[in-house]
Amino acid sequence: MSIQREFNAAVTICARDVLRFVRDWKNSLLFSFFFPVAFLAILGGTIGQNMGAGLGYDYMQFALLGTVANLLVQFTMMGVTSLIEERENGFTQEIFVSPVSRYSILFGKILGGSLTSAVSLIALFTVSFAIGIPLSLAGIGCILLVTPVLFLLGGAMGVLLSGIFGSSPKAVDRATIMVMFPQMFLSGALIPVKNSTGVLSVLVHLMPATYLVDLLRGVFYQGTPAYGQVVLYNPIFDLIISLAIAIVFLVAGTYLFVRSERNR
Amino acid sequence: MLRTALVDARQDYEPVIHVENLVKRYRHSETAAVDGLSFDVRPGEFFALLGPNGAGKTTTISILTTTLAKTSGTVNIGGYDLDRQAKDVRQSIGIIFQNPSLDLNLTAEENIRFHVSLYGIYGYRPSYSMMLRSYRERVMELAQVLGFAGEIFKPVKTFSGGMKRKLEIVRSLMHDPKILFLDEPTQGLDAVSRASLWDYLQKVHREKKTTIFLTTHYIVEAEGADRVCIVNRGRMLFSGSPEAMKSPMVGKYLLLDAENRDSLRSELTGFGPELMEDGRLKVRFSESTPQDILSQIKTPLSFMCLHEPTLEEAYIELVSNGHEEEEVS
Repeated sequence: MSIQREFNAAVTICARDVLRFVRDWKNSLLFSFFFPVAFLAILGGTIGQNMGAGLGYDYMQFALLGTVANLLVQFTMMGVTSLIEERENGFTQEIFVSPVSRYSILFGKILGGSLTSAVSLIALFTVSFAIGIPLSLAGIGCILLVTPVLFLLGGAMGVLLSGIFGSSPKAVDRATIMVMFPQMFLSGALIPVKNSTGVLSVLVHLMPATYLVDLLRGVFYQGTPAYGQVVLYNPIFDLIISLAIAIVFLVAGTYLFVRSERNR
Repeated sequence: MLRTALVDARQDYEPVIHVENLVKRYRHSETAAVDGLSFDVRPGEFFALLGPNGAGKTTTISILTTTLAKTSGTVNIGGYDLDRQAKDVRQSIGIIFQNPSLDLNLTAEENIRFHVSLYGIYGYRPSYSMMLRSYRERVMELAQVLGFAGEIFKPVKTFSGGMKRKLEIVRSLMHDPKILFLDEPTQGLDAVSRASLWDYLQKVHREKKTTIFLTTHYIVEAEGADRVCIVNRGRMLFSGSPEAMKSPMVGKYLLLDAENRDSLRSELTGFGPELMEDGRLKVRFSESTPQDILSQIKTPLSFMCLHEPTLEEAYIELVSNGHEEEEVS
């Protein structure tokens, strides 16, 4: 009975995020399309036109997969950290004083963040078709297959940030940006990192998104000639590392969140 | 000055809120925001916690509503221990926050639906029509009572400040809490909305017997309280009824004047009430009634005004004098 009640609360929190997203559809759509256009069409397009020739694979397809992984992770992460950003205003105050376990609140926020960030996936596909990036139905299927892992790790990163900076909405906001940009540039999303060495190589391997981007590409390029040129590790390895990071972040983040939430 | 207000010596009740030696010291702070606060609130009581900015009111209410951990002390809410049974405490309270806690883009009904689903009263359904009939009936009934049945499906952002506050109160009562915490509930409302909101709150208090725990900067709102507790710098200055707070602090007086002021003065001096001249003749009285004084005056009066001390005057005097702890015996 209690589990059912907690599940109902998590669904409620998730449904609220989705409904808010839908109600504010103009801003939601603008936000969902802005980053695909900025990162994929403009940044990726510029790199592709000037440096993409002679790579031996389609750079824009390469960039699409990197952008999918990064944006879904970041949007899900931001969906969870909004819990802290709004904690002193609006309905979030109500959530914190309701008789709902903190675990259910976090679960509901991860679900909500995942569903709303899924809209950016549609935006990414739309932008891809608009600028002529080759994408088959099988390719879309491969991307959809990996999205649950992207949502999970994005949610886990959001939980960790909420746990570390739980008492300061401003700090969470800044930390989100500070996590977002290094992930985008060092995970191999837009710029290949296969030949990185030294400190940069260490940083590349410290980025959780590196393994997600590589997992997505590993599944997408499986059995194609480009596989050896773009994929760093076996997808099974990437999956294990991604899940391990997600579990560590979820456990540590939840512990810190529950502790910091009241110990101010 | 240490003074004791004798308000209600009855001890034959189980307090619905029991706070004993509550201390909260924020991290990196040398002084305690709440420093050894102790009080009880009886079931059905209207209790007001007053104090200047930084007195520790919001800290106290945050601790009692489980959103902030205390440093030490014992707190029991609705029969539940705050440390061990926080979830049960949350189930038994309703809260109106200082900052509005509504989703402005959602409708009034959606705001209520999310609340009842979070509190486990009804299972969540994605639309009003899919919710249980009992829920739909209750929402419509409440909307009728509050006079916004026509607006229940409109976004809350179209509501006036007073309507939003009433909606928050209705929402917080949906799970039948034993205690309703009101943290500066009328902040930012105009005078008409404030009056209307208090009419509604008094009705709820009267009809549902809900215990009300109020913090406010509008001292006049605490006039109707059963008990007020004044805190400053985290410590209690006074605890007792508004009457007990007012009567010894600021005396009642009559302001009198006459064409023949000398005659009036000599008359008043003759039968002995405390007399001050402050533009007009200020006659203090405590034991006697104004009737006793007036009946003895023969000089025709040109002006008469009865001054009853307000809670606000008593509060200002108490806080500015920095009085030490008052305790109800």
